[in-house]
Amino acid sequence: MTISVAPGPDTQEGVRTGTAESTDSLTAPDIPWNLVIWNDPVNLMSYVSYVFQSYFGYSESKANKLMMEVHKKGRSIVASGSKEQVERHAVAMHGFGLWATVEKASGGPGGNSGKSGGPGQGKGKRG
Amino acid sequence: MAKAFKYGLKGITGFLEPAERDLLRSLIDDVISMLQPEDREGQDPLAALIGLDMDVAEPTDRAVRRLLPNVARDDGAASLEFRQLTERSLRETKIGALRAAALDLDKDEIVLTPEGARHWSMALNDVRLVLAERLDIRDEADAEHVHRMQDWSQAEDVESYLALVYNFATWLQESLVQAMLQSMESRR
Repeated sequence: MTISVAPGPDTQEGVRTGTAESTDSLTAPDIPWNLVIWNDPVNLMSYVSYVFQSYFGYSESKANKLMMEVHKKGRSIVASGSKEQVERHAVAMHGFGLWATVEKASGGPGGNSGKSGGPGQGKGKRG
Repeated sequence: MAKAFKYGLKGITGFLEPAERDLLRSLIDDVISMLQPEDREGQDPLAALIGLDMDVAEPTDRAVRRLLPNVARDDGAASLEFRQLTERSLRETKIGALRAAALDLDKDEIVLTPEGARHWSMALNDVRLVLAERLDIRDEADAEHVHRMQDWSQAEDVESYLALVYNFATWLQESLVQAMLQSMESRR
């Protein structure tokens, strides 16, 4: 991913009082397929975060955390589910221009499961 | 000189000079022509209607392959099967967004609905992906190298011109996405 280049205004990081859509159902341990997003040097960090927020309904902090994971580790599992579900997500990601693949989950629960991390992760700096 | 997109009372607005609109229009047209599915002789019209394409193959052009990537990293057969089922509609989704953005280029001032902004961000992203392939941007160092080209008086060959165009599209997309994020924030 590439960093922000616009001299735009600093982003407003207000306290959010709304509740983020629960994604627990997407990350149940017995679900066998993962949606993986791969890093590339073109997609903007802000855009990747926007896609995660708008398409999956993830909170800003969760979206930024996953985006930073893609950026730093080269890939991130951003959703899990049945093969049909993750394939549908993959087409949507390709529509947005993100580099997405699907893969069978291996190694069981835990690890890089795309679950929401602690609060505040990835906050405060975008792009 | 283009003005960055911003979020305000009218929604998301931007401003582009005629030359900038012409440039974007031609970039968008190029990407549309790359994505246009070929009409093949003897193709089953019903299959085409429901989006199936049994004759599809992995694109040979790198830029098209980036727009329509394989869905399974190490499984060509699974990726091909997926293409047969989804590639046609993916091409149509992308062309739809690109056409919507091109239509908005008829006026100096661009006023976008949330849906229009989403189409614009997708269209600009696809334009940038294609330019990046032409510029051979393979890693962050390549991107940084291209990003250093900011002065139009430096445009002396095709590559430097493409780099400047890429940077313009990047700047425009970044300002648009920031406006979209602000708009999402205010609706929460």
